[in-house]
Amino acid sequence: MGPLLNSQAGTALTVDNVTKTFRIHHERASSLKQYIASGGRNRYEEFFALRDVSFDVAEGEAVGIIGHNGSGKSTLLKCMAKILTPNQGRIEIHKKMAALLELGAGFHQELSGRDNVFLNASILGMGRKEITTRFDEIVEFSGLGDFIESPVKTYSSGMYVRLAFAVAINVDPELLLIDEILAVGDVTFQKKCMEKFVDFRTQGRTLVLVTHDAYTVREFCDRAIWLDHGVVRRDGDPADIVDEYTETMLGAETTDGAEATRRGDGRIQVTRTELLVGGIPVDRFRNGDDVTIRLHWEAPEPVAQPVFSVTIASLAGAAVTEPSTRDVGMVPESLVGSGHVDVSFAAVPLVASRYVLHTEITGWGRQQVYDHLQNAQTFDVIAGVTNETHGLVTMHPTWSASSGT
Amino acid sequence: MSLRSAVAHRNLLYLLTLKELRTRYRKSILGWAWSLLNPISQMIIFSIIFLAIFGGKAPRSSSSGIENFPLYFLSGLLPFQFVSISVGASIGSVQGGASLIKKVAFPHEHLVLSIVFAQLVTVCIELLVLSASFLLFGHFMFQWLIPMALLLVLISLFTTGIALALSAANVFFHDINYLWGIASQILFYASPIIWVVGQVGNEAINTYAPWGPTGAFVTASHQILYQGVFPSLERWGYIAVWSLAVFGLGAWFFNRLSPRFAEEI
Repeated sequence: MGPLLNSQAGTALTVDNVTKTFRIHHERASSLKQYIASGGRNRYEEFFALRDVSFDVAEGEAVGIIGHNGSGKSTLLKCMAKILTPNQGRIEIHKKMAALLELGAGFHQELSGRDNVFLNASILGMGRKEITTRFDEIVEFSGLGDFIESPVKTYSSGMYVRLAFAVAINVDPELLLIDEILAVGDVTFQKKCMEKFVDFRTQGRTLVLVTHDAYTVREFCDRAIWLDHGVVRRDGDPADIVDEYTETMLGAETTDGAEATRRGDGRIQVTRTELLVGGIPVDRFRNGDDVTIRLHWEAPEPVAQPVFSVTIASLAGAAVTEPSTRDVGMVPESLVGSGHVDVSFAAVPLVASRYVLHTEITGWGRQQVYDHLQNAQTFDVIAGVTNETHGLVTMHPTWSASSGT
Repeated sequence: MSLRSAVAHRNLLYLLTLKELRTRYRKSILGWAWSLLNPISQMIIFSIIFLAIFGGKAPRSSSSGIENFPLYFLSGLLPFQFVSISVGASIGSVQGGASLIKKVAFPHEHLVLSIVFAQLVTVCIELLVLSASFLLFGHFMFQWLIPMALLLVLISLFTTGIALALSAANVFFHDINYLWGIASQILFYASPIIWVVGQVGNEAINTYAPWGPTGAFVTASHQILYQGVFPSLERWGYIAVWSLAVFGLGAWFFNRLSPRFAEEI
């Protein structure tokens, strides 16, 4: 909505004890007949999406709101955007605000790009003159050129998003609320968007970003707010909060890996796997840690020349490493009974992510499979010696730069 | 939404109205001609029923002496259709704007108002065509479009009130559309559009129909367009109070419910 003039010095946004509940209907009457039949009552339960949430956002701050799905972060954003009305508490917007919850909201397929720019911009609260002044800039930013006169239905999804973003960013707000839309369009366009955001920040404007992508928050925000089940769990420095958040999230998810499957003739089997750091079983560790993988095995009958191997793979299936006991000439003539085999890795260079462990025991020729345990265990690596998030391993990069004059 | 934000978004209202008008006849071969063909076809059908089957007699215009049922019929039908089509199209408009309501904060009433405004543009064109038709029968009545404009303002208030209330209610109960279908049929036959006051044998109908919920407008429209008579101050006052009351109630009801739209749709 329009700018509020009772601007408090330095505060862009105040969220004061906001509580928002939703009704979860058991049998929702959507026709009068049902409504009357149910005695004019819809049975429902109250669900607390937000409970007593309070914080201030200072002018020029970039705040990232993180939280798992259903933590209430989108509800909070919608309350700040005045789309939803809180049940209790108040939200004060002290600056000219624009909310980007969905790009191209209100685009009409049959109308031309030009008409949609005017329509969309006016939905976002721009006046006619303002749009006319900025129209060329918007078209220029979208890179659509002459296509601006064609109906939007003829656009590719990329063009659609580019135009929508161009309109949104040109609304020229002092306070921008964004929901998960940084990753739109192709790489060139993304770069353009990021530049626009950086401009935005250097101009001292305020940004509130809702995302589940902790990485964006760490890189881009100077404050993080962690929402958990509708309550502010942490509020402060993004580096600390994001780490803690990531650890908690990963901890909560360790059981959701793919189920282990076994094949092979089973004359010797891996009964259990363990991940050890400093002799203590773990299911996650930091990169840079020294880690031991322990395979417990059982063989009722003697097995000749068993070769043990482990595979560490990304969840996408790419094998990172696949060492075997044969590589180091550590193959016994025969094994029987039970025991364990350890394989240790010094200073694990895996980048922070989730990985999966497969194990295999074969004959010397590796053709005969005694036991193959797919998805024996999943484990998580969190940021330790490196903050890299892409690729699989860190090669311990050293960067330097020089510039010519 | 407050009146202030509604005014701040007046540009949106203008553009939504324009969108309504521009996209209405997309992909139809005859396009805008439909907005004229529609009342003309009704006029033909009802004229045949009235004149040939029921043997009715067109009322005599006191000012011009015209006795022409099709013109009488259209004089009443056009303002009535403005009400019934506007409300009918509005009922689903809030529901239809769901994707917008969930993602953007804007005055929700503009979804409804834009439809009423677009329909108002249509009825104005239709009235011009009707006035030209009067000319064809040798009756110049363009000056009567001035009081007709005032009447249309009042009808618009009435229409907007009903449209706001029903479109808001439709978010919660989807049978509003069907109920309006029935209600508008009843209103159509209860208003003196295909029949003439005084030609019906029932005295109660002759007395009350010209003061009915829509009958009051239809009668005023007959007087202005067909009879060439300025409606009585009593009638103007009655219509003004009635329209403002309906508008006020509808707007109040809509504003009460609109904060819940985003979560109920």
